[in-house]
Amino acid sequence: MKMPVVTRRTALKAIGTAALLPWLSDDALAEFADIQARKAPPKLKVLTQAQYQAVDALVEAIIPRDERSPGASEARVADYIDLLLGEADEPMRSRWLAGLAALDAEAVTRYGAPLVKLSEEQMTALLTDVSRYETVKPRGDAGLETPRNEQPKPRVDTLWGEVRQPLGRQPLETFFADTKQATIHGYYTSEIGIHQDLRYKGNTLLAEFVGCGTEDGTDCPHCGRKAKA
Amino acid sequence: MPADPTLDLDLAAVLDESRRLAASITPASGPWDAIVVGSGAAGGMAAYQLAMAGVKVLVLEAGRMVDHRKEYRTMEWPYASPRRHRLPPDQRAIAAAEYNFLDRPYGNDPAFAKHKKLASYAGNTFTRNWVVDEKQHPTTGTPYSWVRARVLGGKTNFWGRVAIRYGPLQFQAASRDGFDVDWPFGYEELKPYYDKVDVLLGVSGTKEGLDQVPDGIYQRAHKLNCVEVHFRDAVTKLGRRYIPGRAGVTTDGVLGNKYRARCLGRGRCSRGCDIGATFHSPTALIFPARDSGNLTLRPYSVAAEVFLDPATGRAGGVRVIDANTHEVMDFKAKVVVLGAGCLDSTRILLNSKSARHPDGMGNSTGLLGCYLSEHHMGPRGSGFIPTRIGTEPTLDDGRPTGPYIPRFRNVTDKHPDFIRGYHFQGGSASYEFPGHAQDLPGFGKAFKSSVRKYYPAQFAIGGFGEVLPRKENRVALDAEVKDAWGIPVLRFTYRFSDNEIRMARDMADTADEMLRAAGAENIKIDPTMLPPGWSIHEIGTARMGDDPKASVTDRFCRLHDVPNVYMADAAPFVSGGTQNTTWSILAMCWRTMDHLKEDLRTQA
Ligand SMILES: Cc1cc2nc3c(=O)[nH]c(=O)nc-3n(C[C@H](O)[C@H](O)[C@H](O)COP(=O)(O)OP(=O)(O)OC[C@H]3O[C@@H](n4cnc5c(N)ncnc54)[C@H](O)[C@@H]3O)c2cc1C
Ligand code: SF4
Repeated sequence: MKMPVVTRRTALKAIGTAALLPWLSDDALAEFADIQARKAPPKLKVLTQAQYQAVDALVEAIIPRDERSPGASEARVADYIDLLLGEADEPMRSRWLAGLAALDAEAVTRYGAPLVKLSEEQMTALLTDVSRYETVKPRGDAGLETPRNEQPKPRVDTLWGEVRQPLGRQPLETFFADTKQATIHGYYTSEIGIHQDLRYKGNTLLAEFVGCGTEDGTDCPHCGRKAKA
Repeated sequence: MPADPTLDLDLAAVLDESRRLAASITPASGPWDAIVVGSGAAGGMAAYQLAMAGVKVLVLEAGRMVDHRKEYRTMEWPYASPRRHRLPPDQRAIAAAEYNFLDRPYGNDPAFAKHKKLASYAGNTFTRNWVVDEKQHPTTGTPYSWVRARVLGGKTNFWGRVAIRYGPLQFQAASRDGFDVDWPFGYEELKPYYDKVDVLLGVSGTKEGLDQVPDGIYQRAHKLNCVEVHFRDAVTKLGRRYIPGRAGVTTDGVLGNKYRARCLGRGRCSRGCDIGATFHSPTALIFPARDSGNLTLRPYSVAAEVFLDPATGRAGGVRVIDANTHEVMDFKAKVVVLGAGCLDSTRILLNSKSARHPDGMGNSTGLLGCYLSEHHMGPRGSGFIPTRIGTEPTLDDGRPTGPYIPRFRNVTDKHPDFIRGYHFQGGSASYEFPGHAQDLPGFGKAFKSSVRKYYPAQFAIGGFGEVLPRKENRVALDAEVKDAWGIPVLRFTYRFSDNEIRMARDMADTADEMLRAAGAENIKIDPTMLPPGWSIHEIGTARMGDDPKASVTDRFCRLHDVPNVYMADAAPFVSGGTQNTTWSILAMCWRTMDHLKEDLRTQA
């Protein structure tokens, strides 16, 4: 899908009604257009150009381009994170920027190169380490199986919102968790994430809910279930 | 008049209309036969029944008017705004975990000093202009996540649409297990009113013949999707039912209401349904009632108390504080109907003190404010259903509600650990936002493709359990803390009992059992109870009964002490079963209004 350049007109169309627009100032609208259009240079609120490059590399490593769709970089997730930082409290902003610096420093220590210069293998090795807590296996074999009640209270004051805190997490791991959640949110609320990657089908007018084919007495094309004889 | 700068939308027109109405309607604009306080499910139905019957009625609504076309942002994509549907930085909603450790009033917490507005957990980008500011509306006492909306239509602007009838199991709950008392009447008494509500407002669902959730008069139901059909087969083997959701939504259309259209399956009803398929009090009840010419609507009218007519000993009317000007006005009528929501109606009565009613109107027993009940929530289970793992997503979130597992505990059997029961709500869909991604491990291409792989297979259910009505769970007026209009606020004394805690444990166990039976992968069980109040189904604080010494209202929701004051909301309810409350509020209110009309006729 080609990303359209957003003008006031197309923005109006996207939002559906002119009435909803007034709260978007011209600045915000321009920024909105920037974020939508891959090629426009970022208008940064908090991040420096160098930090932006590092964030852009990091979020693309978390959700990369693949055969189905572009990744977090093209979806302008780094711009979204910059916006979040701009609206965050000072302590949270500093903490997050310190985390970014620490991860960058870790890259230099290990590979003699900052995040932006890492090869795919190096980035993968680094992120595998800082996300290892996610797959600590308390029981069974699925990393997903940590029962929620065995996890400590969610932290509310993160960049993105409520984030569950696995036990005994190191600072770099905390930074990764926050950034991963922000990336997930930024990517899957973008046009690329919703339409190209997930191929989300809803939010359209539907005369009648479809459901499983067997509910209408036919074999279901979606789940393969056979109609009851 | 310029738009309110705290609002994100340009609502100049509706704010203008609200101010104009408030300024033009004064106590001299009457006379009225009846005053209705509030315009949510209760106030809306009361006003509708009275106005349509030719009764001259004044509705006093604390909030402003609502512009349903502009404010119900039903189909807005998240990328339509750079902030992606997050609250603006000067606003904040309280998170679940915070209720448990914050001192009250919540708005006084230093952590929120920087926020201009603090909303309850129900505050989000779509509801933020309706949900009250905790700083203006403090509460005290034990933790309670009290969700309030002050705007025309109240919480019906963004309610969850689950429309379930109370049944015999619950009207006679005490006879079955010996706890507390039965309702003063049975299901048969209310059934005709549920039928009328179904026809007037429209409800979608299927007939199932179950005592615990009696059937209604249903419009086109919403089928189960692939994952749900699979889950249904599994739980059927356990002897449980998994039925299409019953939604307070018209899927076939309703007659004679130009503000409503039938459901078009967008699935974003909690933002407000801009075509009016969902029941929202303004479009379904208030606007048609206003068109009758018998209804006067005064927004920005904060009811502070019901005042007494010293000559007759009956209620004379309602004392109002204008929300903007703070002017105090006495509006008079022959009868007063309270529909401010269970707890706010109770608060108004507690605040209606006089020499004759020193502890508040209707409180000669001291029971006003006691027996606060609702539903406990929290235990939930989720997993991925194998038949849909790795398939292409289908359009399966385009409906107003997911399926429902009716109560199965203490229906025919007797559970050793607890009395009463619970139901589950939930199902599956490839929702616009892939919530499951937040819990999937890893990063990179493998992570991204696992998000897609599990996307169509997500499944989750969560329980709603009965909280036993107990006298010691109560609200009272706080001796010191007042709201922004100088009205004393509610102090909560409310805790879950062992019965609720044991029931919640069973909820988590049965969620696990059912997900296992369905062969789900990556099953996660969260047994944590959510903070009190989370269900937004509060009932019982002006309980009804035939004995004036043991109840606040009679069986027609009239105060025993002052018989021209009626309760239209859930305050008189004796017990709340597991059923979501709104459809019962509507049916009960209709019944109460029939009696009120009869009282007016015979007394006039
Ligand atoms: C997110 C959410 C999901 C929900 N889901 C469901 C569901 O699926 N099924 C279900 O059955 N129920 C659900 N509910 C609950 C449902 O919204 C309520 O049961 C229903 O709205 C109650 O109606 P009410 O008229 O008693 O109160 P409200 O709708 O709260 O209306 C009260 C009105 O009174 C006004 N008012 C308050 N105090 C004063 C005063 N002092 N003076 C004048 N006016 C006053 C308020 O401004 C408001 O307009 C949900 C609620 C929420 C918020
Ligand atoms: S799904 Fe139906 S009820 Fe819900 S918003 Fe769409 S049209 Fe309205």
